[in-house]
Amino acid sequence: MDLEQLKEKFYQLVAPSMPNEWDVEDALSPLVDSESACLEEVFSQIPAIWPVSQGLCFAYLSAAGPALCHLALDELSLWVHTLLDRYETGGLRGAQLFMADVERQFARQLRGQGSLRLTEVRSRLQPYVNGLAGRELPLIGAAEAATDSQVIFLPSELGVFAEHGENFLLYKLMVSFQWASLAAGMFTSPPFLTLHRKSAHPLDCFFSEFPQPDNARQLFHLLETGRMLSFLRSELPGLMRATVPLLPRLPLSGDESSKPNLLDFLQRGLLRGEEHTHGHSPLTDRAMALLRQCAVRTEDNSVSLAAVRELMGCLTADEDLAATRPLIFQGTLRLQEMRNLGLKQRMDKELKMMRAQFMSLSAAHQPTEADPSSGENEGQGYDAALIMEMESAWDQLTPFMQSMGQQITINEMLPMTNKPTQECGQTQVVQETGTATEGRAGSALARSPHAGGGKGEEMAEPVVYDEWDHRRKGFRKKWCVVSERELLPVENSFIEQTLKTYRGQIRRLRHQFELLQTGERFVRRQREGVDIDIDALVESRIDLVAGLAPADRLFIRLAKNHRDIAVTFLVDMSNSTSGWVGQSIKEALVLICEALEVLDDRYAIYGFSGMRRLRCEIFPIKRIDERYSKTVRQRISAIGPREYTRMAPAIRHMTELFSQVEAKIRLLIVLSDGKPEDYDDYKGDYAIEDTRHALLEAKAKGIHPFCITIDRQAHEYMAHMYGEVNYIFIDNIQRLPARMSEIYRTLTS
Amino acid sequence: MPGRQMRIDEFRVEEEPYYLPLGNELDIADAAYRDGSPLLLKGPTGCGKTRFMQYLAWRLKCPLVTVSCHDDLSTSDLVGRYLIRAGEAVWIDGPLTMAVRAGAICYLDEIVEARKDTTVVIHPLADDRRQLPIEKRGELLTAPPEFMLAVSYNPGYQSVLKDIKASTRQRFVALSFDYPAPEKEMEIVCREGRLEPELARSLVKLAVMTRGLKDSGLAEGASTRLLIQAGKLIGRGIPIKAACRAAISEALTDDRELLAALDEMVSSLF
Repeated sequence: MDLEQLKEKFYQLVAPSMPNEWDVEDALSPLVDSESACLEEVFSQIPAIWPVSQGLCFAYLSAAGPALCHLALDELSLWVHTLLDRYETGGLRGAQLFMADVERQFARQLRGQGSLRLTEVRSRLQPYVNGLAGRELPLIGAAEAATDSQVIFLPSELGVFAEHGENFLLYKLMVSFQWASLAAGMFTSPPFLTLHRKSAHPLDCFFSEFPQPDNARQLFHLLETGRMLSFLRSELPGLMRATVPLLPRLPLSGDESSKPNLLDFLQRGLLRGEEHTHGHSPLTDRAMALLRQCAVRTEDNSVSLAAVRELMGCLTADEDLAATRPLIFQGTLRLQEMRNLGLKQRMDKELKMMRAQFMSLSAAHQPTEADPSSGENEGQGYDAALIMEMESAWDQLTPFMQSMGQQITINEMLPMTNKPTQECGQTQVVQETGTATEGRAGSALARSPHAGGGKGEEMAEPVVYDEWDHRRKGFRKKWCVVSERELLPVENSFIEQTLKTYRGQIRRLRHQFELLQTGERFVRRQREGVDIDIDALVESRIDLVAGLAPADRLFIRLAKNHRDIAVTFLVDMSNSTSGWVGQSIKEALVLICEALEVLDDRYAIYGFSGMRRLRCEIFPIKRIDERYSKTVRQRISAIGPREYTRMAPAIRHMTELFSQVEAKIRLLIVLSDGKPEDYDDYKGDYAIEDTRHALLEAKAKGIHPFCITIDRQAHEYMAHMYGEVNYIFIDNIQRLPARMSEIYRTLTS
Repeated sequence: MPGRQMRIDEFRVEEEPYYLPLGNELDIADAAYRDGSPLLLKGPTGCGKTRFMQYLAWRLKCPLVTVSCHDDLSTSDLVGRYLIRAGEAVWIDGPLTMAVRAGAICYLDEIVEARKDTTVVIHPLADDRRQLPIEKRGELLTAPPEFMLAVSYNPGYQSVLKDIKASTRQRFVALSFDYPAPEKEMEIVCREGRLEPELARSLVKLAVMTRGLKDSGLAEGASTRLLIQAGKLIGRGIPIKAACRAAISEALTDDRELLAALDEMVSSLF
């Protein structure tokens, strides 16, 4: 194939994008001499890479030729899959590094040798650690193992041992160890501190009591490691038994050192047995004895703290323990990050409290609508009173909060109140750049119906909806303008590619959904049917005997369950859904459509996004009675990240449309990746409460809302918005396509 | 023998069933019984709802008629029907009627599984009227003070089709059940599964871990019942890991990755 043919093929695959011709030529020229089978395979990966990153796609094309020297043709798709994972975690640079060394980075792993990557073990270890902790503890790649109490960091790659199995066991030990350090209270504050700094972790304050804080830190960490291992022995005996042959083989930095220090001896004693340290010096013997003591008492870190105090008193001033690297599963202490996280959580909580206090104050001071004469003087009085109240509220805050210097100025908070002038019914002409809390929708609507001008034609007259303001416990009337816009169908290979990738799964799903459809049941007492209804016959006979008129409905008919279900999928098309998220959502939609086609359930798909209350946009992808046609599929391909997530107007619009649909069960499934949020002040509690209210309105109209989310913070607000059992969090976006159909099946059977 | 009217004595709970009270559920159920209020038990599968009913029945010395509801359960299945015997039409009481007549406890297990129309028949029985109309016989039964109606359901099923109507649920005194606290659960597994305390403790740890996996795709964690089953397998000489795999992991999920993660938990614990 010559370059022109390659280019033509490439442009077909990436349509409607039109990348620069010289970029394309650059990327494709190394492939000109390749065999056609190779080219076919290389090109078949483009549709998967192009939507993720165009730069990556060009880099891939340049690297694909050399890569095929190390890989078999059928291994290329796996290589690309790993490449995309690398891109997600390490960006373009990470992906380029991956592509540069195919043999080490990929081919060897494929053969089950050498190092193991975190990405390969995460699917197994993530649920494992979630189960251990009873909460989500995401595993994140880093240089060394550590935890900041919310996340566990693990090395992205582990090649200590030659065998995969042993490296996996080491990963498992690392995860369990980091969990144990949280569960067994390694980070508990010491009871007495002479030095105390608020911004530092109490343990750091403890270490800084000594002339060489780093030595204290290292000693403490090792003594605690002894305690953690003994904690693990009692909690996870199976794991610790399995690691017995592994631990003595772990490399120690003391092995390379000509003059091992105290820490080196302790590490040796801990992993390889005490005979390696015995009799070296009285200090080492004493330290080993202390290490044993720490391991006996597993409840808290007090023994380790006391031991650190004792040992630090015996260490000479020139002793430097920092040269000793921590044990690989032990990792590093991230005390400062832990402290910062704790402070942030506390601050968020107090800020929330303060806001709540402020709201109740402002509500108490709000002039009523029945008092339109509130003049300037009264307005000033209102402000003055508010400021005084605010000051007293400030005084009531904890010293901690005040010390953080998080002064919230009155100006910042004023937009949250309802300005008296607005409440007096004045019509204001509003700029499109106004905040959520300014102006009225009606006037702006009259001025500029096409405000914002998103892509695609406006399809119907815009509709105006109220918005719930939980602070005033009432609606902002005619607040949001919702317009339906056309999503221009896109012709590319996305659908084809998805159908190809998931063909096995689609076949299985269709079969499962067919089973739903043919939920057969026997209908008794029919005039005709496949079998005799013995009960009816008996009754009829009895009636005859009793001298009554016998019934003639004596048959059983096999009837298919009539599933009178209508469902609307509402898809979040906010900016944050770019990359894998959007891709997975689209794939999930294709899969569910394919599966739903075998059912009689009516379904609609809408996307939503927008910016500010005057431009809430709804993109119909499939209306409820529309066929799942090529156009619909092309619209699914066209789904892409747009602007913000003002969820409530979209839900209200769906409720409005959906309430006109006749069905016994009406289900609204929202697919989202985060909290409701808009460019203006529409965020936080305000947005959550408005969305919750919109959902309650939907429920009142007999619509069952359900949310599928991938937001890790979902539990904090989802249960409040949707109800405890009406949402599901999916921790791995790549499993969304498979999970979504499964969820739909569970929901409706 | 077809068409035989079952005798209520067959439903007596003779031996004391093992039940470890978790809170004040027995006091509340006792009080509800004395007041003639019906009982709604909700909670995840295998957490002890049915066992609680058995224990209550034994304590109150009342027969317990249990009906496992399914989606083809009709009103006649509950109330009763005519059968022909030797050329004559004979009325056979359904389980509900039998319980009402005899002053027993009628327990409708998994009430949401029953067809919606069947739940309506329990309405007059579940409020202060305490009456059961038998249309076919033109009879209106009034329940004696000893009769009690109890229903159960699992609110964790995320199905819009399986929800209990407000008009039904608002007639009941509701008791919420959950898996017992680890110490108590251990005691239960130890006794019911006939296990050593240490082994029971590890099984409970495993269950607690699986219950934290909802976000990772496990619809429900391992129930106390599953732990007991695993314990019994172990007691029969099945190796621990194989017993956990068969009685717990495989019973919880078909997902390969989750199965692998569950295996990791088992291999860590035992």
